[in-house]
Amino acid sequence: MKKIGGAVMVTVLGILALIVVFPIFFAVTGAITSQWELEEYLSPVLGNADGMAGWSLLPRAPSLRSLVGILMDSPQFFAMFWNSLKITLCVLAGQVIVGIPAAWGLARFQFPGRGLVLMLYIVLMLMPFQVLMFPEYLVLNDLGLLDTHAAVILPAVFSTFPVFIMYRFFEAIPEAILEAARMDGAGNFQIFLRIGLPLGAPGVMSSVILNFLDSWNMIEQPMTFLKTKALWPLSLFLPEIGLEEAGTGFAAAILMLLPALLLFLSGQEYLEQGIAAAALKE
Amino acid sequence: MKKRRLLQITGVFFALMICFTILSRAAYQEGTAVVHTNKPMNMAISHEVKAAGKVVQNQKIAVTTEADLRVASVEIAEGQRVSRGDLLFTLDQNWLREKILNQQQEMEKQQLSVKDAKSQNEVSRQQKANEQAQAAENYSLSTGRANTVLARAKRNLEEAKKRLREFRENSGQSNEDSSVETALEEACQEKAEAYIQAQQELTQLQWKIENEVNIALNAAMNGTGGAGLSAAETVLTGSADVLPLEDDADGNFLIEENDPGEALFFDTPEGAGENGSGTAADSFPAETQGYIDEEPSDPSLQEDDPGLIIEDDILLEDMPDDTDSYGIDRTGTADLETEESEQGETPASPTQEELNRIEQSVRDRYKIPLENARKKVETAKEEKEAAEQALAQYQQERLSASSASNAQTEQTLIDQVKAAQDAYVDACLAANEAAVTSGRSIAAAGIPNASNSSDRMNEITYEQMELTLEKLEELERAQGKIYAPADGLVTKVCIQTGEKTGDTTAILLADLSRGSSFQGEITEEQEKYIGTGDAVTLTGPGKNEKYEDLAVSSVTAKEGSSSVYQVKVQLPADTMEIGAAATLDFVRKSEIYNVCVPLSALHLDEKNQPYVLVVDQVDSVMGTEQKARKVSVTILEKNESYAALAEGAISSQQEIIVSSDKAVDDGSRVRVSG
Repeated sequence: MKKIGGAVMVTVLGILALIVVFPIFFAVTGAITSQWELEEYLSPVLGNADGMAGWSLLPRAPSLRSLVGILMDSPQFFAMFWNSLKITLCVLAGQVIVGIPAAWGLARFQFPGRGLVLMLYIVLMLMPFQVLMFPEYLVLNDLGLLDTHAAVILPAVFSTFPVFIMYRFFEAIPEAILEAARMDGAGNFQIFLRIGLPLGAPGVMSSVILNFLDSWNMIEQPMTFLKTKALWPLSLFLPEIGLEEAGTGFAAAILMLLPALLLFLSGQEYLEQGIAAAALKE
Repeated sequence: MKKRRLLQITGVFFALMICFTILSRAAYQEGTAVVHTNKPMNMAISHEVKAAGKVVQNQKIAVTTEADLRVASVEIAEGQRVSRGDLLFTLDQNWLREKILNQQQEMEKQQLSVKDAKSQNEVSRQQKANEQAQAAENYSLSTGRANTVLARAKRNLEEAKKRLREFRENSGQSNEDSSVETALEEACQEKAEAYIQAQQELTQLQWKIENEVNIALNAAMNGTGGAGLSAAETVLTGSADVLPLEDDADGNFLIEENDPGEALFFDTPEGAGENGSGTAADSFPAETQGYIDEEPSDPSLQEDDPGLIIEDDILLEDMPDDTDSYGIDRTGTADLETEESEQGETPASPTQEELNRIEQSVRDRYKIPLENARKKVETAKEEKEAAEQALAQYQQERLSASSASNAQTEQTLIDQVKAAQDAYVDACLAANEAAVTSGRSIAAAGIPNASNSSDRMNEITYEQMELTLEKLEELERAQGKIYAPADGLVTKVCIQTGEKTGDTTAILLADLSRGSSFQGEITEEQEKYIGTGDAVTLTGPGKNEKYEDLAVSSVTAKEGSSSVYQVKVQLPADTMEIGAAATLDFVRKSEIYNVCVPLSALHLDEKNQPYVLVVDQVDSVMGTEQKARKVSVTILEKNESYAALAEGAISSQQEIIVSSDKAVDDGSRVRVSG
């Protein structure tokens, strides 16, 4: 009975997994499909043809022209790729530098108004970008940071979400360990540095991974704050591609996916812990 | 998967991304054209006109001499300068003397020819006059004889009638019978007269037709300057073969209003036909005239004689102006002779076919009148015969009623009257025929001979020979030497020692006193920029031969070519030698244009519209890039190097691509070279 139930469960989950994985399969086959075949399938959607869009699991005329084109003939892609990498790494570095102390302070220190600050963090975390867009624009304009990468990086550095993730992990550290350390004569900074960070590393990693995905795929902030095309990240490359370059778009999507995939594979366990921590309530 | 492995993969991934970044940028830059740019210039478009040519003389002098003379020596060569009076060439004097002698002999022969021609003309004239005189004399004799016979026949008729009348009176015939017979006789007489008149009219019409044919043929022949028809041909031929005529819709016959046939009719001169006295030349006018037999030679029988059957009213002068006795409308316009003479042209010699056509057309005009005349004659004859038959029948009846001896006697007298009547009719017809025939002869003799200008032509030839002889003698006096008539430069020598001279130029000189000019050729495109009066610079073959500010005399299209023009510039005295090569330079500058670009910056699109490519700064993912943008322009003026563009399309600060190392189109990436 259990075996049957297990098999059913596996089957159901497998089907769901396939459904989830299908877009990736869609992108991979699209990257090796000929342009004329792509136009035939996608012209009802992206062009002016009538009827429904179609697709084939295996292309009738596979071609590497799109991949070669994106790798050898599209320096714009790489320019945007490095822009995306720069923004992401700067954001992550800033979040680590600014967010970890903030999360430790909120987790381990009792100060007046702590509850209010925490509530404020949660409220700000729930607000969508569209609400904060205009105030951010005005502040950045006053600071003279518009049309620079700092306009995208700085608001992301001071984001509340990484603080929230790490706060949970820091809060989960038993007080007895810290008391013991305090009794041994460790100061607050030493406790933070030698006990808090190692024990809270999973939270930090999960925050980094989640925020990497968030920064790598960020599209609204660059579109709003960056006018110069040379500063655009990779997330703005795909919207420029139409039906005539559909193959190039699929190839670009695969390449854009790879860094995130690699990071995910590296920090999968931390990611699971982070997701669990985000959902866990004391 | 182990973390270390993942880190390696990540490292490889980023390394590859770096490599591909470099490669893609290298490929990207490889497709970028390196261009040179210029900003539009503010300048005038200059048009340079350059023409190569040579110096030619303004006037040439042609030195000629008589043809067919042998050249003994030639003293000059082409390109040599000569002065007035310099010896050019010498003619062989022996040959010249021979030529003079031949000319003199030819002139003597020509003189004899002139005398012969004159003599022949005189003989022809005398022969013609003789022919005319003979024809007139024949006419006089024949008409006199015919009139005599006619008078005799008339007398005989009267006598026979008188005897018959007397017999009847003596035999006591009733007045009633006499009056009936008289009436019948008068009827017979009228019918006979009508018959004779009809016969005469027919004869006259036939002769008129022949005459008009003759006139038409003569006019056709004389129009070519031919000798005209011979006397034999002028005799009316084919009168028996006259074909029926056609008329127009109104039944009129189109003949000329002033019928030249009238000129052929004339009145018999008084006394000319009686005894043939008087010369024919005195009696008849020079031109041929026709004949109308309307008066017998015996005046006593003329006026009161009811039997006279040739009447006045057959004279054409008495006819209505627009018709003749045949009812022919004379107001027509078909007249070959008049048309040909009015045109004032000398047509080509007519062929026999044309002559036949002319004759046929004349005969066709009189077809119906001739037919009517014949019918009239037949009708008159039938009526005469019917009247005679009626009279004879009455006389027979009367004879049968009278006694046998009286009847026999009366029958004899009646027969005599009838015989005399017939003889009289025959005599009338014979007289008419004789007059017509003689008249034809006179007309034929009156046709003038064809003109003969051979004597005058021979005289003219002789005069020409005299002129030639004078020239030859003048050459002999000069010992055959020919001198230059003026200062000049020998440009062409058309004679050779030992060869004969021709009738064209022997030596061609350039007249130095009239100066020289430069002549060069320019294209149609260059002709737009240079005109009469423009100051040009001429450069000669020498190092320092340069002449500035010379005015253009003329710019004209070259004969036989619509795209090549000749430029002529008058040269001052003593500048360049005739025949020297030179180059003309002229620059015409237009107004100042604000937007001028080199021609290499101009391109033509698929619609043959001109455009330029300007460089625009474009913001892209790769940073600020330079791209070419197409701008359509309007060309105002251009020369070989620059073009002036209309303002508005491009500004004076825009960089315009003038050259590139690759093909550049609208939207192409470019990089401006330093």
